[in-house]
Amino acid sequence: MNGDSGERAVTRRNALRIGSALGVTSLAGCLGFFNDDQDVEIPSLSEFRGSGTLVEGRPAPGGTSIEELPDLSGDLALYIGGGEGGIYYEFVEMLQNIYPDFTVHPNDNDSASLAQTIVEEVDAGAAQADVFWSIDASSLGFVADNDAYEPLSDAAVDPVANDQFVGSDEAWAGVAGRARSVPYNIDQLSGSDVPSTVMEFPSTDALQGTMGWAPTYGAFKSFVTAMRLIEGDEATRTWLVDMRDAGTERRGNEYAVSQAVANGSLAAGFANHYYAMRVKNQQPDAPIDLAFTESDAGALINVAGALKVKGTQRGELVDDFVRHLLSSEAQEYFATISFAYPMIEGVAPVGGLPTIDELSPPDIDLAELSNLEPTLDLMDDAGVSG
Amino acid sequence: MTIREQVARTVERGTNGDDSPVDVGLTLLAAAIAAVLVLPLSWLVVDAAGLGSRALELTVDSQTVEVLLRSVALVAVVTGASVVIGVPLAVLTVQGEIPFPRFWTVLAALPLAVPSYLGAFAFVSAFGPQGELADLLAPLGIDSIPSVYGFAGAAFVLTLYTYPYVFLTTRAALLSFDGSLVEAARTLNTGRWEAFRRVTLPQILPGITAGALLVALYALADFGTPNIMRVEVFTQFIYARYNAFARDYAALLSLQLLTVTAIILAIESRIGVDESGAYESGGHRGSVDLELGAWRYPALLLPTVVSVLALALPIAIFGMWLFSGGPGYQVGRLTFEWEYGLNSAYVALLAAGASILVALPIAIASATADSRLAALADRAPYVGYATPGIVLAIALLSFSLDVIPAIYKTVPLLVFAYVVRFMPQAIGSIRTSTLQVDRQLLEAARTLGRSRLSTFRAVTLPLILPGVAAGAALVFLTTMKELPATLMLRPLGFETLVTYIWRVEETGLYGQAAVPALVLIVVSGLSMAVMLAQEGR
Repeated sequence: MNGDSGERAVTRRNALRIGSALGVTSLAGCLGFFNDDQDVEIPSLSEFRGSGTLVEGRPAPGGTSIEELPDLSGDLALYIGGGEGGIYYEFVEMLQNIYPDFTVHPNDNDSASLAQTIVEEVDAGAAQADVFWSIDASSLGFVADNDAYEPLSDAAVDPVANDQFVGSDEAWAGVAGRARSVPYNIDQLSGSDVPSTVMEFPSTDALQGTMGWAPTYGAFKSFVTAMRLIEGDEATRTWLVDMRDAGTERRGNEYAVSQAVANGSLAAGFANHYYAMRVKNQQPDAPIDLAFTESDAGALINVAGALKVKGTQRGELVDDFVRHLLSSEAQEYFATISFAYPMIEGVAPVGGLPTIDELSPPDIDLAELSNLEPTLDLMDDAGVSG
Repeated sequence: MTIREQVARTVERGTNGDDSPVDVGLTLLAAAIAAVLVLPLSWLVVDAAGLGSRALELTVDSQTVEVLLRSVALVAVVTGASVVIGVPLAVLTVQGEIPFPRFWTVLAALPLAVPSYLGAFAFVSAFGPQGELADLLAPLGIDSIPSVYGFAGAAFVLTLYTYPYVFLTTRAALLSFDGSLVEAARTLNTGRWEAFRRVTLPQILPGITAGALLVALYALADFGTPNIMRVEVFTQFIYARYNAFARDYAALLSLQLLTVTAIILAIESRIGVDESGAYESGGHRGSVDLELGAWRYPALLLPTVVSVLALALPIAIFGMWLFSGGPGYQVGRLTFEWEYGLNSAYVALLAAGASILVALPIAIASATADSRLAALADRAPYVGYATPGIVLAIALLSFSLDVIPAIYKTVPLLVFAYVVRFMPQAIGSIRTSTLQVDRQLLEAARTLGRSRLSTFRAVTLPLILPGVAAGAALVFLTTMKELPATLMLRPLGFETLVTYIWRVEETGLYGQAAVPALVLIVVSGLSMAVMLAQEGR
């Protein structure tokens, strides 16, 4: 076996080498040779940008360019939780193309499940992943709460503009944000018709029989969980029942909710902000706009983020990888491809969205959103099964 | 190569009078190996026990019951359909005077070697929502076609790839069946159909049943097809629960699946024991002929249609991708690397080598020693063979995490799983060749003063070498195609042909899978060739 650099413990991270002894997966990376010999070529900014009306004419992003960051090289075991239909992995592929000596070994699955897997593997002393890049803070919080993380370096978390999006003890760094929002049809409603808290929705005349939601969708369950934390179980159950009684219609997912709002079959709905952006990017004239509530569950901002898994022998590479996720190119990528909220200063959200500073999210610990069981029971009770 | 032959093998043991220490040692070694192979499965019980009182709740939970019923229904439909296709094909190739009977026989048996998930993959990509057919029809304004997903699609695909079990066992029964009985019936003025029903059918019924039970086992344990076709049967549901981190629930379901498997095996061994109630006269082939006359050619439509669907269609689809890139939206580019093929070959080689090492003592002990322990040791590995791959994978993951974290998701663990699953094939072929070794040769060698070991080296080993080689080849080729254990136990970043195809299927970038899929089809063909060569010996 070549590629054995003398560590005897056969964790999966080392076992990568057993596989690579056969192939040619970057033996150099394992041994740390040639770090500076890579033929690094960074594509132009347009390669990192999505297309469509919302993206055209954006200013060049601020922040730190990939060019200024240390090169990535070697093997990295990455757990991708969620991953937005391959969008995350596509960015990873771009990084691998930029750095020929950098190889990522991905494993993608549901974020909550991977979080539990990481904790289980770390507890057993058989950790597989070096880094966990997950779509929601609750799964990152779960890993952090179970002490299966190692703090990221200061350089890795520094670019994040808002402290709210860095885990305590620098356990994780936010990479891209998404806000709960109320998409509404501007032909049927005006922004002032939408109350500033969701608790007022059931009693608002303008919204009777015109709303839509997607209770099976994960972000909706996080929203209900946040409401439980803020308002209590009883008030949350009542709210769900009242909304149902007000004729709120079910849809399969929040993109469908946003499309229904755009085509007028719903007047308003509950959805993550980027679905309305997607609709607008395809149909610039769609009569859809977003309203944001204030300081309540309806104003929840959740983030995707990255975490260093406890016991990794590639801590420095993980830090550098996270810095790449927070580079100006990466942030432009998430802002224009998945219409997420950028995490760094100098990159603006698309389509005239209010900046994160202008939003007023509720003051809750995002990690607490991982406790889904009571939420599901409560939703079942209220007859709004997820 | 049937489980029945192996599991229900009772007592054609060459007896061996002297229970020498070597025999005892051999027997104990075989028993120890067998125990190690079966041990991890017990971990499922440990996992399921973690549910405590909820275990019973979940067992009678409506969702669990639904999965059980759906699984049984799928098994029933696939088994029934396999009989409907397999029996006429067997009658046609054995008794029908068709041109090139050998060609049609091989053609009808061939789908057995193709892993059904390749078929499912081809059908989904041909007739699925983003498939070739949809692409062809889209310009015509037809934007929705009946879904290939679901129960019917899965049953269809599984039938296409499992009917050969029925075909082969029925064929064997027909070949060993005495034609003069039918002639007698015909001289007594019985109609042709009547004669078939009253004479032929009762005689070949055990053969049909044996094949049908093998189909049932396969349909129950198959992982790829239900997952690709999105049917919530045991294997699909267990995988989904496991991925949603409901590990103990997955373990509970696995135990249920094992129970259903055990029931099928029990029925099988019952039937297997009493198979030749028929009066045999050494296969009077040729005396029974289905006089098809002008119907001869229309009759060939059946094997033609079946093999076009099961073989030509997937090959055509994969071949088309090779040249056109195939359908699928661009998300992340999963580029194919030849390294995946090397990885496949590497673990398959390890599995073949390890299987032979483990199988030799068991096979020789069971062929030469006459003791209950040897019989038990001989039987135990087949538990692994009949165990659905997904169940074994979950048991091994849990076992390694709890007991030996150092081997969790490593190549050695993966190879262990292959050995548990496929070593019985090696035992089968080694044992057969060991039984054929003339004991007088061994005695002669011993009289000439050779030690036992030296006798084994000089006489036995050369004689059983072809059997060993065939066994190794079978394990190698079967391992290349294995899906569930490979998918779940491989180290992170260790991609094989099969896992690559799986990832391509999940992301819908179908065209990328052309090369590995075609390679696996060739591998399937080779494994069929090995099996046929063994039969021919």
